[in-house]
Amino acid sequence: MNFFKRAWLNVWAKKGRSVLLILVSSAILMFVLAGLLIRSAAVKATDQAKADVGATVTLSANRQAAFKKMQNSSTTSKSSRPKMTLTPVKLSDATKISQLSNVKSTNVTSSTTVNAKSYDVVSTSSGMGSSGGGPGGMKGKTSSGDTQIDGVTATSLTTDFSNSQSKITKGRGITAADKNTNHVVIEKNLASQNDLSVGDTVTVKKTTGKKATVKLKVVGIYRASSTSSSNAGPMSTDPSNTMYTSYTLANSLKGSKYAGTADSVTFTVSNPAKVSSVKAAGKKLINTSSYSLSTDDASYQTVKASMATIEGFANKIVWLVAIAGTIILALIVILMIRERRFEIGVLLSLGEARWKIVAQFFTEMLMVIVVAVAIAGAGGKFVGDQLGAQLVEQSTTNQTVSSSVSGQAGGQPGGGMKGGNGGPGMQQTTNTKKAADTNLDIQVSAVNLAELGGFGLAITFLSIMIASGGILRLEPKKVLIS
Amino acid sequence: MLKTTGLGYWYQDETNPLFQDIDLTFEDGQSYAILGHSGTGKTTFLSLVAGLDKPKAGDIWLGERSLKQIGLTNYRRHNVSIVFQAYNLFTYMSPLNNLLTAMAITGAEHAGDKYFAKRTLNALGIGEDLVERNVQHLSGGQQQRVAIARAMACDAPLVVADEPTGNLDEDNTKEVIDQFQQLAHQQNKCVIIVTHEPDVAARCDHQYRLENKQFVKLA
Repeated sequence: MNFFKRAWLNVWAKKGRSVLLILVSSAILMFVLAGLLIRSAAVKATDQAKADVGATVTLSANRQAAFKKMQNSSTTSKSSRPKMTLTPVKLSDATKISQLSNVKSTNVTSSTTVNAKSYDVVSTSSGMGSSGGGPGGMKGKTSSGDTQIDGVTATSLTTDFSNSQSKITKGRGITAADKNTNHVVIEKNLASQNDLSVGDTVTVKKTTGKKATVKLKVVGIYRASSTSSSNAGPMSTDPSNTMYTSYTLANSLKGSKYAGTADSVTFTVSNPAKVSSVKAAGKKLINTSSYSLSTDDASYQTVKASMATIEGFANKIVWLVAIAGTIILALIVILMIRERRFEIGVLLSLGEARWKIVAQFFTEMLMVIVVAVAIAGAGGKFVGDQLGAQLVEQSTTNQTVSSSVSGQAGGQPGGGMKGGNGGPGMQQTTNTKKAADTNLDIQVSAVNLAELGGFGLAITFLSIMIASGGILRLEPKKVLIS
Repeated sequence: MLKTTGLGYWYQDETNPLFQDIDLTFEDGQSYAILGHSGTGKTTFLSLVAGLDKPKAGDIWLGERSLKQIGLTNYRRHNVSIVFQAYNLFTYMSPLNNLLTAMAITGAEHAGDKYFAKRTLNALGIGEDLVERNVQHLSGGQQQRVAIARAMACDAPLVVADEPTGNLDEDNTKEVIDQFQQLAHQQNKCVIIVTHEPDVAARCDHQYRLENKQFVKLA
């Protein structure tokens, strides 16, 4: 007979007390597990966000430098109205940046406008915006057609398509293989209005040079976002009049001097946390007086901030419950030990070592904790789900509010490359929506249960250690004879 | 053989000890009764020889070694069995498990031997129908017999009992005293019983009365 058997006999003989201890321990451990689950789910969600939401670095003309240059020239020559000249991005520079580590993919963007020749453009009911482009920008200087041409490396790499705001409905999108071809992807409404389908040819007229006509082959039809028109600026063309082509075709439509250039080049960074380092390394490769590198990791930052809040809260839950649990269990164990003074006295009178008496109580609590861990393991997911959902809702609401505020501040119309598809404000809204969609995937794993077991063990150990002071001080004579 | 030399004890006031300069010898195979009025210090004396407390003066010897040398926990584990007035059994155990627990802790020769434990209980009138029952469901006399059986099952050469018949009726008292006599005479143990009952004391081999801070031999 040893203290293990005594512990078992006691736990078994005092079933009512054991059940109560199991219930108290289960409640404590259930909250500890909920905290652990939320914490691990938040870490997982942050990691997932890195892969899902992505982050980009965009190489484009340095508008600020160009604007300063324009201001300087206006002060020196007051005879003519100064013009802001933007230098197109050199693809050779883009190639260098694309070779940096952590750059996953590259999307070259070159936009222009052409005039419809063999088809009719879709007219908006408001009657506004048949002329392309917004104020400012390269396109404002070179474009005046009724059809927007968005030259890209691949449509799948554009924000509209990756966010599923636009979707290929027939045929296929533009891919890298379409480089140096006259393939286009047209909008569903434009196709329907002109009875165009995949394989047909459309003719457009250039807006520059000798205004030559060019035949384009339709390889795909896409559906633009239903909200696109409402997002477009007052000077923009109807979104249905936007065609996607390879950037090489867009460049050739703009003119021969645009060969080997782009309006902007967007680099997708594999690890959003490395955006800054990619930007810093990229800056060393370009002439910063002509070009600028801007980053967009708002989605990642929003999700990261949201998950950091949840992770922090989950950590607090874990530690607060663990500390409170230790105190509660210690008090229970102290009371339990007080009522068992005679038993301890008898054990001491028989010559039992004090550490073995402490070990007996520890073993009894361990038996209770093992059952409690199993119960908490079953119930912890439910508590974690409820608590996690509440936390995500609260956290994303906070993040949305703060993002909206910053979005409004930063979202000035910029005469964007994409026919008034909005500035940073629009982008921020999309990112925030994505972040808000992030849910905690709360699953009880073996690691979680092992962690919980560790916490249970630590709580039990501390409780017994706190309570065992009474055992170590107990004098058998006082208990048994007085 | 247990021997006390210059034994003394006091609580607060050293100038007013319960007893002092006690030199006594307790032989194996003999039973001893210690009589005295309440508060004279007989239970305190018992706690000293049981190794539950340390003497304030003098020493206690087991054979050639003092209790200080042996160590109180070690002494209690291997050399002494205590029978209490309130029985002090493990209340969540059966009589059988009470014996097995004590035998395991003290490292008795028959530790873990259920048959031996049952036989010991049976010898003291705890039948087969009672050995597996929770001790709280036994009568006072039965519980006291379990306590004595526990002392018997452990191989300690010294058995000390504090008012072992205090809660028992006349018949049970007689039976219990017979058991103590058997422990002394058949198992060659030294039995020391503290009692305030002259009839109980009269059945022991030797009687001492604690009065005026000294032990007086009666018979």
